[in-house]
Amino acid sequence: MAKHATPLLDQLESGPWPSFVSDMKQEAEARAKNENNVEYQIPQDACEDLLGVLELSFKDGTTHWKHGGIVGVFGYGGGVIGRYCDQPENFPGVAHFHTMRVSQPAGKFYTTKYLKEICDLWERRGSGLTNMHGSTGDIIFLGTTTPQLEEIFYELTHNLNQDLGGSGSNLRTPSDCIGQARCEYACFDTQDLCHNLTNEYQDELHRPAFPYKFKFKFDGCPNCCVASIARSDLSFIGTWKDDIRIDQDAVAGYVSGEFKPNAGAHAGRDWGPFDIQKEVIDLCPTGCMKYEDGKLLINNKECTRCMHCINVMPRALRPGLERGCSMLAGAKAPILDGAQMGSLLVPFIEVNKDNDYQEIKDVIEKIWDWWMEEGKNRERLGELMKRQGFQKLLEVTEIKPVPQHVQEPRSNPYIFWKEDEVEGGWDRDINEFRKHHQR
Amino acid sequence: MTFISSGYNPDKPMEDRITDIGPRHFEEFYPEVIKNNKGKWLYHEILKPGVLVHVSETGDEVYTVRVGGARLMSITHIREICEIADKHCDGHLRFTTRNNIEFMVDSKDKVEPLIQDLESRKFDGGSFKFPVGGTGAGITNIIHTQGWIHCHTPATDASGTVKATLDEVFSDFQNMRLPAHLRISMACCLNMCGAVHCSDIAILGYHRKPPMVDDAYLDKICELPLAIAACPTAALKPTKVELEDGTTVKSIAINRDRCMFCGNCYTMCPSLPLADKEGDGIVLMVGGKVSNRISAPKFSKVVVAFIPNEMPRWPTMTKTIKQIIEAYAADARKYERLGEWAERIGWERFFEKTGLEFTHHLIDDFRDPAYYTWRQTSNFKF
Amino acid sequence: MELEEAKEKIVEALTKKAKSKSKFYFNDLSKILDLKPRAAKKLITRLIETEVLEYWSSGSTTMYGLKGMGKQAAAEHED
Repeated sequence: MAKHATPLLDQLESGPWPSFVSDMKQEAEARAKNENNVEYQIPQDACEDLLGVLELSFKDGTTHWKHGGIVGVFGYGGGVIGRYCDQPENFPGVAHFHTMRVSQPAGKFYTTKYLKEICDLWERRGSGLTNMHGSTGDIIFLGTTTPQLEEIFYELTHNLNQDLGGSGSNLRTPSDCIGQARCEYACFDTQDLCHNLTNEYQDELHRPAFPYKFKFKFDGCPNCCVASIARSDLSFIGTWKDDIRIDQDAVAGYVSGEFKPNAGAHAGRDWGPFDIQKEVIDLCPTGCMKYEDGKLLINNKECTRCMHCINVMPRALRPGLERGCSMLAGAKAPILDGAQMGSLLVPFIEVNKDNDYQEIKDVIEKIWDWWMEEGKNRERLGELMKRQGFQKLLEVTEIKPVPQHVQEPRSNPYIFWKEDEVEGGWDRDINEFRKHHQR
Repeated sequence: MTFISSGYNPDKPMEDRITDIGPRHFEEFYPEVIKNNKGKWLYHEILKPGVLVHVSETGDEVYTVRVGGARLMSITHIREICEIADKHCDGHLRFTTRNNIEFMVDSKDKVEPLIQDLESRKFDGGSFKFPVGGTGAGITNIIHTQGWIHCHTPATDASGTVKATLDEVFSDFQNMRLPAHLRISMACCLNMCGAVHCSDIAILGYHRKPPMVDDAYLDKICELPLAIAACPTAALKPTKVELEDGTTVKSIAINRDRCMFCGNCYTMCPSLPLADKEGDGIVLMVGGKVSNRISAPKFSKVVVAFIPNEMPRWPTMTKTIKQIIEAYAADARKYERLGEWAERIGWERFFEKTGLEFTHHLIDDFRDPAYYTWRQTSNFKF
Repeated sequence: MELEEAKEKIVEALTKKAKSKSKFYFNDLSKILDLKPRAAKKLITRLIETEVLEYWSSGSTTMYGLKGMGKQAAAEHED
């Protein structure tokens, strides 16, 4: 028998999509039964009370949580978000109900052994509810009490070789796409770079000293499956410099209908037979392709690597072999001055495991030095770039300006010349001037 | 309940402390076939909705079955996922960026038994535990934020709106009939801790009433300068208020016309609550994308300024989303994303074809970039 | 700068302002120490570890305060 009636939530149990309400109820029931004789360290009826609070929110259309900023684990400024229920008497099981962010492995592959260990820990010391995963990428432990925070951290670090993730004015837990682990498009090892930088910058991740949050995300190709270009202060997008590799036999296979276009992604509707002219050549944004005499020709010099042709014919076309990544800077969600997309900063950089990604780290650290010194409180990198100008970013990173940096050149001539750029400098002799110009 | 120590000593927090070890190394978790073929993959194919094969230059194949999952997930459910992975996948699995679960096997004959097992499992309430789908030119899982389950500033629920929407569009999770893939995302307030601003369709919770001020308690539990500094539009200032009992207290005055309803002040000071049943609801934004394919990444645009919260299933919201999807499905060209379609036919046609009403709320008036969104040409459609 | 000196400066500056507010941004602290951010961070980290300072997080932003000071502890039921 449920502790709280939940007539509104119950209506979210029907329908085909997995019901989070059914799942919460299942957890509530498992805790009530406690078949494994777990010594619960937070209230056994936490899930019941959480259902109760949620039902109340569904009834009155408002949240019942308050923020808490003090709680955390000793020495870390991030990884824990404090939460308190504003109806603690009615729902004592969730009166204190903090979130913990657990740093996910790159690529989000798991063994069941690891997941079961995580579950055992979270069953004993928390609500038994998680997010797999949070928006940034962490495993989220949803709901525990203050005294348990250190205990959980101790067990994570001592028994599971596992650290917390970031929150606050920190480097946030970096995340990546599946990359070369299972994708033929990936131009660099996203997992290795993600893991390497995450570990290199553990201090930045745990001990906040930035003006605001900072995110890295790693996309293996311009398809951008982790949306790095839209939501990370520094976005790494795999790319290549040489020619797209073509298998003309496989092209013929697509033309003849032997292979399904776009790896079969459009199989749910009859779009008619595949038309390479209409579906590939004519949609190429640079018009750099031709199909002549049964051969596909690409003028690679004009290609901007948008991935369309490769996506449509993955068996026939593959990215080139001279690979690396582009780095884009300053993406963020709209709060506050409007959303910003990443702006291209480094058109091409090698992703070089052998020297521990030193070139990439050099760029990162120059950007941080600038932002830590010049950034106002709660100013994202993208906003600092807007305030001080893209030129300033190029200056601090010592990157040479190239046309690739802009969509188009400026349409106003108001160039803020610097004194040292102007022949003879700015100090002039007014008396000398007056010799030739009357007052 | 008896307190069980992990070994941590609260009197000496630094004793024996382990820090800065980061996440587990990804290689520990790779299935054998992934380990052996990393970086060697040649091509992939979607065999049917939710089922992929990747073929390696070594001749190896990996078959992936993708299933949807509620991102709010219990350990009982995770243990069931583990049981399935132990039975079929040698104890390995992965999650996708969009909260799907992927079960991988190394030969074709293992695929059907896995699918049958997954599809046979249902919750007591009747919903699927592991619906197979979410690939290709269809709709995949909706990424979302916390909502009423755990957040202090949401203007709507996240899990609830997502469940209601995915039930409504479920056939497109298991089909690939759309012109291109369609990504729906949900954030429960404008702070967008889930960045939804580049989604084909974004569901966004929005408050419309400025915070109330709990004058009698504000100065007791909040520090005024911190609350005032938290406001991004400088709408707060210190004030003195006379309470009913005649005492004068320090408090905060809100310039209500400047409030953008972000709740940042409430984060600093619980005496400034802003949630409200009538005030809060949903904004719909459309046409964003993050891929660089054919056209550059785009931001989503606001096309519905407000839909009330209708618990528990938000019928007006789901109906409107469905309306947008059907107009897009009927009219867009193959490979064309929702935003590309809207730009090709023109936004005036978008509103005509979707049947959405255009109101003044949809014209940008927020700071400098607004100007660039007005029409500066004589070219438009009647 | 030595840790003791940093502690003195921080405690003095923060105590002076304690009547109006108890939480400060990292930048405020590095200004008090008159150090570049990276140098300031080393000392501030030590002050956290020796429990002179504590973090306060809004979730998106982090602030610093003298341990136990301010009204947050009471408001958050953590006193």
